[in-house]
Amino acid sequence: METPRIDIWYGIAEIMDFGYPQNLSPEILKLYITQEGVRSPFSSKPKDKPVPNATLQVTGAVGWRREGLAYKKNEVFLDIVESVNLLMSSKGNVLRCDVTGKVLMKCFLSGMPDLKLGLNDKIGLEKESEMKSRPAKSGKTIELDDVTFHQCVNLTRFNSEKTVSFVPPDGEFELMKYRITEGVNLPFRVLPTIKELGRTRMEVNVKVKSVFGAKMFALGVVVKIPVPKQTAKTNFQVTTGRAKYNPSIDCLVWKIRKFPGQTESTLSAEIELISTMGEKKSWTRPPIQMEFQVPMFTASGLRVRFLKVWEKSGYNTVEWVRYITKAGSYEIRC
Amino acid sequence: MAPPAASQRYPSPSQPSGKSEVSDLKTQLRQLAGSRAPGVDDSKRDLYKKVISYMTIGIDVSSVFGEMVMCSATSDIVLKKMCYLYVGNYAKGNPDLSLLTINFLQRDCKDEDPMIRGLALRSLCSLRVPNLVEYLVGPLGSGLKDNNSYVRTIAVTGVLKLYHISPSTCIDADFPPTLKSLMLHDSDAQVVANCLSALQEIWSIEASHSEEACREKESLLSKPVIYYFLNRIKDFNEWAQCLILELAVKYVPSDSNDIFDIMNLLEDRLQHANGAVVLATVKVFLQLTLSMTDVHQQVYERIKSPLLTLVSSGSPEQSYAILSHLHLLVVRAPFIFATDYKHFYCQYNEPSYVKKLKLEMLTAVANESNTYEIVTELCEYAANVDIAIARESIRAVGKIALQQYDVNAIVDRLLQFLEMEKDYVTAETLVLVKDLLRKYPQWSHDCISVVGGISSKNIQEPKGKAALIWMLGEYAQDMSDAPYILENLIENWEEEHSAEVRLHLLTAAMKCFFKRAPETQKALGTALAAGVADFHQDVHDRALFYYRVLQYDVHVAERVVSPPKQAVSVFADTQSSEIKDRIFDEFNSLSVIYQKPSYMFTDKEHRGPFEFSDELGNISITPEASSDIVPAQQYEANDKDLLLGIDEKDDNKGLSSNNGSAYSAPSLENSSNITSQMQELAISGPATSATTPQSSFGFDDLLGLGLSTAPAPTPSPPLLKLNPRAALDPGAFQQKWRQLPLSLTQECSVNPQGIAALTVPQSLIRHMQSHSIHCIASGGQSPNFKFFFFAQKESEPSNYLAECIINTSSAKAQIKVKADEQSTSQAFTTVFETALSKFGMP
Repeated sequence: METPRIDIWYGIAEIMDFGYPQNLSPEILKLYITQEGVRSPFSSKPKDKPVPNATLQVTGAVGWRREGLAYKKNEVFLDIVESVNLLMSSKGNVLRCDVTGKVLMKCFLSGMPDLKLGLNDKIGLEKESEMKSRPAKSGKTIELDDVTFHQCVNLTRFNSEKTVSFVPPDGEFELMKYRITEGVNLPFRVLPTIKELGRTRMEVNVKVKSVFGAKMFALGVVVKIPVPKQTAKTNFQVTTGRAKYNPSIDCLVWKIRKFPGQTESTLSAEIELISTMGEKKSWTRPPIQMEFQVPMFTASGLRVRFLKVWEKSGYNTVEWVRYITKAGSYEIRC
Repeated sequence: MAPPAASQRYPSPSQPSGKSEVSDLKTQLRQLAGSRAPGVDDSKRDLYKKVISYMTIGIDVSSVFGEMVMCSATSDIVLKKMCYLYVGNYAKGNPDLSLLTINFLQRDCKDEDPMIRGLALRSLCSLRVPNLVEYLVGPLGSGLKDNNSYVRTIAVTGVLKLYHISPSTCIDADFPPTLKSLMLHDSDAQVVANCLSALQEIWSIEASHSEEACREKESLLSKPVIYYFLNRIKDFNEWAQCLILELAVKYVPSDSNDIFDIMNLLEDRLQHANGAVVLATVKVFLQLTLSMTDVHQQVYERIKSPLLTLVSSGSPEQSYAILSHLHLLVVRAPFIFATDYKHFYCQYNEPSYVKKLKLEMLTAVANESNTYEIVTELCEYAANVDIAIARESIRAVGKIALQQYDVNAIVDRLLQFLEMEKDYVTAETLVLVKDLLRKYPQWSHDCISVVGGISSKNIQEPKGKAALIWMLGEYAQDMSDAPYILENLIENWEEEHSAEVRLHLLTAAMKCFFKRAPETQKALGTALAAGVADFHQDVHDRALFYYRVLQYDVHVAERVVSPPKQAVSVFADTQSSEIKDRIFDEFNSLSVIYQKPSYMFTDKEHRGPFEFSDELGNISITPEASSDIVPAQQYEANDKDLLLGIDEKDDNKGLSSNNGSAYSAPSLENSSNITSQMQELAISGPATSATTPQSSFGFDDLLGLGLSTAPAPTPSPPLLKLNPRAALDPGAFQQKWRQLPLSLTQECSVNPQGIAALTVPQSLIRHMQSHSIHCIASGGQSPNFKFFFFAQKESEPSNYLAECIINTSSAKAQIKVKADEQSTSQAFTTVFETALSKFGMP
């Protein structure tokens, strides 16, 4: 109860002095907080090895990384996480579609490594081929609408050479964010047909098609099909997965745990409504919403071409790259 | 922290009641104070922890102050931290006791561990006891020279703390110059950033009474300093980057190369992950290029995609903030997002505040090329479950219809809304159809046929009902059953709760009567009778008025109530363009979110001296003319009444007695506003009056020359000679401007050379000065510039005041003249116009 309180107090004092923000890097603030916490309360003799000096760290040239880090195994984990936003009209036209992606990194690297990341984005590749004076390799290139980088990325170098080079912070961080609107590969197609049969009955038929590679599969697919508030009884069949009527959100919730590529499944349901007098056509069909995750698939087609790690001691590193595409707001009007 | 007394009043059973525990602690601490036994630090820690935890739950432990200080002789950093915390908390309330802490804090300031030096220095500066400031100077001085950057950062903030406790001590110790050299030479970015914040604060406050501080403050905006910061911007953390970018906004670049240099330096900031840095950079770009139209357009193109990224990534709150900024930009340059309208499509799950802004964006970006898609999308939202959003989207469709030429399709859509048969949809749509008909009477046939089919019983909302009734009255001849519908409504007069609807009913019955008298006569009679008996004053008055005017003459009544109408070409904008410009100047601040300039939502006292510094950047006049402090305030004074429309503004000031009562309230507010301005003006007064007369020496002969070529005005008043050395202090000017009636308003055109030369407003001021007309205040941004001039008769102290608004896009100048002597104001205006017409001529 006691020490955390004082540490929080001092943590805040380091973050803000006299109303002026001072230091907000968690890495460095950690040094202040842990400096004494690590120290055993029973050893009153001074330590033989001084703790890494926080005061020097505060303001060094590389503010986000402290010196003297050492790992037995040097590893870099790189995740490309994309979320696809889609808005499709009831006629099947794509009204709006874009991808917002993040490159997340987890670094366990010793010393002060310099990293260089190459992606298959158009500008970067063109620049490279221009510099090496050979034609760009054929293959898909991606046009990024906009990119933003973590503070550690040397933006001057990005603008002149179009390579992402940086000294990473220790641990987890978000290296870059990007946005793409052109040439998005939609992982799923949804074909709904909703028929209102008279006042008290409805027929809903939803077909979902996976359009990514046959070797891949999507996980945690959830399709939410809205039904009117006055739904009394639902009756449905699904070819895969399980479906349930959830009255609290007025939706049929259809869950498919694993959805292989290049397949399709359908849900067909009959819905009985409580007949209401007076009010007619009060139901304004909200869109069908979809959730999913597709590992090893990028809706933008972005790929990591290389990730080079350079450190003066010349150690070997293990690099891990993962891709995943998630649904952002994936809406299909019906 | 809770006041210590609180827990004494309400001792909770689970917590120690206070007194006895505290005295226990006191004895225990005293025992430990002198002890040097091993392990004593650990027992001290436990005791300190108790003291601190009592303190934080609100028990007054100030009585152990002495013991705490006695025990503070230790090398244990945790103990020290706790002790500093304790001391910092109780020093202010116990100034006498805090003297005891000075000694050990000063000693700690010389400790070999930089961490301890820093912490001790920070605690020392946080004591906030005025009579102890003399002890601060020494440690602060050495702290600023410390070889460890951590200590230096703390020392710099310490100087600022000292300044707030005792400004004179801080200035006497010569700290500001030390900070300045530290700012320009220190290797550590955080030290530099802290120096900048401290100096900005100190000099802004000092500037009000010290010429030197004023100069120093301006020197922060000098080219070398700005470039020094911009070149190093990468070293700083995000907060400090924003600080520097804010500074750069105020910088007045010397030429276009300067502007391009800065933009090149800052371009990569647009790729920064931090939204605040991006927005601050955008602001720099926009402000720098204000005077360069085509570059300004390119800037819009460049900033577009970073901003759109910020909208789509991140929390709804962030989207909202960025969207507000986009909305501001799109109003200024609608074309920029015309192809990106899809970014503003609403997602089903978004919070309504984001949706609402997106709807506004869609309305703003709509043009010929994308109207169809946008309106289709908006129609989808009209069926939304969220009624507020459904209403907004219908209004949005209407707004687009009112600003577009291709109304045909939209009218069809609107009429489809009426078929949805939902109360609120119908009501909103009716209001829109009414507005559309006022602008495009040619659509009346299509609309009327549908509107006529609507049963008034289905409309509950007053606004919708009023709109329907208006149409019934206006188009009575085209709707066969209009009189009968009205009759029905009039019969239910008693059940009609909204006065607005009843007023419309009266007018509609009148209009209907003029067109179809026999059918309406009875209904009109009922309506008038009911109206005269109405308890609502306005309804009563209108009914009585109609009744009497009908009695007087039916034809006159028709001319009054139902004259032939002209189609409305433009509906009034709710916000004046000047206010919008003000908001644009405050880009990247809450003003944009609130959609009003900061003076509308901040209290006077909180604006304080910082207002001055903000203004310097906005008015593109070189900083050496200290008179440009005035225009900022002049503007502020004017902005309030701009809401009334530009034309009323000055009449309001001068001739407020002539105006209807409706206007008297704002004019009062306005004058009180000016009085409060006066106090601020008094501060800047001496500097202003010192500079203006100086530069006008030796122009006497020029004046004669200028006048001799002037075409003599037809009534030929005596040739006016002006005093080239006239002086008027801003306070007196303000007062006169308020008191004197407006004697002349004139519009004249400005020659193209003059417009070109006006890119530097200073040049006009110099030019007019050469004609013995002195500028007291100026401001504005392209295309509108505003100047306040004054002049004096050569022989006698009779003053002429003039306000001159120049619009560079229309090349017109509007001049308003007020004079002590009304009879000579025409002569002065002639002189003024002649002088103005020569502006820009070689």
